Amino acid sequence: MGWLIDLIPLSYTDAVVVIGAAILGLTSGVLGSFAVLRERSLVGDAIAHAALPGVCIAFLLTGAKDAGSLIVGAAFAGIAAAVLMVAIEHTSRIRPDAAIGVVLSCFFSLGIVLLTYIASQNDASQAGLEKYLFGQAAGLLERDLVVMAALAGASLLVVVAGFRILKVALFDSDFAASLGLPVRILDIAMTLLLVVAVVIGVRMVGAILMVAMLISPVVAARQLTHRLRTLLPLAGVLGAAIGIAGALLATGSELPTGPVVVVVGFCVALAAVLFSPGRGALWRARHVAAERRRAAFEGVLLEVETAMHAGPPPTTEELRLATGRPRAQLATTLRSLERAGLLDRDGAEHRLRLTEAGAAAAHELEQRRDLWAAWLEHGSSLDLPDAREPDPRDVRASLGDDAADRLQELATT
Amino acid sequence: MNDDLVIIVTAGLAATACGLLGPFLVLRRAALLSDAVSHAVLPGIVATWLLFQTRAPLAVIIGGAVFAVLCVLAIDGLRSTGLVRSDAAIGLVFPLLFALGVLGVTRYASGIHLDLDSTIYGEIAFAPFDVWNVAGIEVARSVAIIGTIAALNLVFVVLAWKELKATTFDPGFAQTIGLRPQLLSRVMLIAVAITAVTAFESVGAILVVTLLIVPGATAYLLTDRLALMVALAVGIGWLSAVAGYWGAVAGDSSIAGTMGLVCALCFALALLVSPKYGLVATALRRRRRSAATATALAAER
Repeated sequence: MGWLIDLIPLSYTDAVVVIGAAILGLTSGVLGSFAVLRERSLVGDAIAHAALPGVCIAFLLTGAKDAGSLIVGAAFAGIAAAVLMVAIEHTSRIRPDAAIGVVLSCFFSLGIVLLTYIASQNDASQAGLEKYLFGQAAGLLERDLVVMAALAGASLLVVVAGFRILKVALFDSDFAASLGLPVRILDIAMTLLLVVAVVIGVRMVGAILMVAMLISPVVAARQLTHRLRTLLPLAGVLGAAIGIAGALLATGSELPTGPVVVVVGFCVALAAVLFSPGRGALWRARHVAAERRRAAFEGVLLEVETAMHAGPPPTTEELRLATGRPRAQLATTLRSLERAGLLDRDGAEHRLRLTEAGAAAAHELEQRRDLWAAWLEHGSSLDLPDAREPDPRDVRASLGDDAADRLQELATT
Repeated sequence: MNDDLVIIVTAGLAATACGLLGPFLVLRRAALLSDAVSHAVLPGIVATWLLFQTRAPLAVIIGGAVFAVLCVLAIDGLRSTGLVRSDAAIGLVFPLLFALGVLGVTRYASGIHLDLDSTIYGEIAFAPFDVWNVAGIEVARSVAIIGTIAALNLVFVVLAWKELKATTFDPGFAQTIGLRPQLLSRVMLIAVAITAVTAFESVGAILVVTLLIVPGATAYLLTDRLALMVALAVGIGWLSAVAGYWGAVAGDSSIAGTMGLVCALCFALALLVSPKYGLVATALRRRRRSAATATALAAER
């Protein structure tokens, strides 16, 4: 690891923290994908809480606050918690979130009972046992980096080697089981990898950071792709980027690393949820608004035409009463019709009148709507090779002229 | 009231307040909201300290409640985009709030001792020592506060029963008949947040988290009827309050921890021997069915 640390133009401790955050982000992004996609996002939370009784039992057995044995205790408790969680989920109607919650609260209650028991033994060396689990990124050592890198390598290897099997088991476990794949063992194996990552991560950066690191890169990556093959590397890269950015920001502003990384991760995930192209919340809101405007535009165009056929050209107020459209919507739509050159206002009363282009547009629109109505009525008798529904806004373009002409024929006879 | 009774009643009332809402959280796949709220109150405590320089219980409860409500609304907002599932939304929001709290402490409040244990995460064993004088009668503060919350929850659940039921099981249907599932779910989440924050202060965070999840999940294993499920959740909560207290006294152990373990025991029992969904019942059913299939096949041959 020494060469990597030397490579980074930062002080020794800062470089260690940045590399640690990057490795942790990479591992948790990849492993977290499997948790998040199974609705088990908070499994890290449960494992982190479950470590408490494990630490207590390890202390009771060894009688000393030795880092190695306490971590082993925490890992065993985490494994027990994870296996219980998977078992509850598989054998009963309890859903993943409740299973995680039950395991979390039961293990933590047990931990508290054990802590009071240890405290009643009047042994001075037990002080601070419960704080032992929750580390500080600033306290990372080069030796820790080696452990983390080994873990990251091992889990990436497992994921790459077993990608196809894991994918089937993840998305359709019944199908996987019918193929003869050992679904439960796979499930437990993936959870175990997660447990080891969480136990080591929690010791280094704290429980809450670990919870966030398993989730935020995956949520962000999920907004950007639909394919597991891209999701996994993307989540890993995003996780590493979040870790590095958070660690650099933290060292720059002299704040604790863990919380800053959490904040950065949340911002990245939120940005992806809002702005992801084609899927993000804001993108969709804009799309919906544009569709609404288009619908109003076409609707009002036809309504003016109908009103002109029925009698004298209507005033805005008459049109509003006839159509029941909200005042503001009608006003903006009329303005955009005018701007498009489809509408004129006549005389002192500003009566609405379609221009020549407007009449032509209305006529074309009516034809398109008739064609859609014809499709709904006769579409099944066309016997098209392509079974897909045409675009209701433009049936002719999506079916082709041939089919559209036949539809028109069917509708007129 | 003697001290034992105060502790048991406090825990029982907390179990009532939580048991009324817990089943809905379990059914809506948001059981871990309680754990999220327990972490999200930290920035509230810090903000209360920074703004008003106080650690008085009422101010801290209000500060914590503001952030708890913020937390559940943010989770609901993220979830309602349809892009993030509720478990991931929970896991995105509460670490953020907790992290902001930690940053606030290190940046502005590192000089003072803002100990979570002493401010909002109460210890149920101290419940009898804090007494209010209401109209000449001495009432333990925790009993009064939790009792009020439990009563409010009862009123809410009874008044909105039909709507809660419809929106929990079939939000689409509820929407079409003119109920407002989004609004109702937000009101319920706010009720959860306020219940949790007030209960933290009297009985401690882990007991609240336990009481919101485990009795509800246990009841879910025992029955298909919502009314029975809520009643069972409250009942299991009271059982663990009473049994947990005596267990803790007998074993000289943590009261909240022992009550949690009794809850765990109830869950394990239900998981094993629930008449309809228990492991034993399922195994028996499966064996009977395969025997029936075998005889049917033999008869056909």
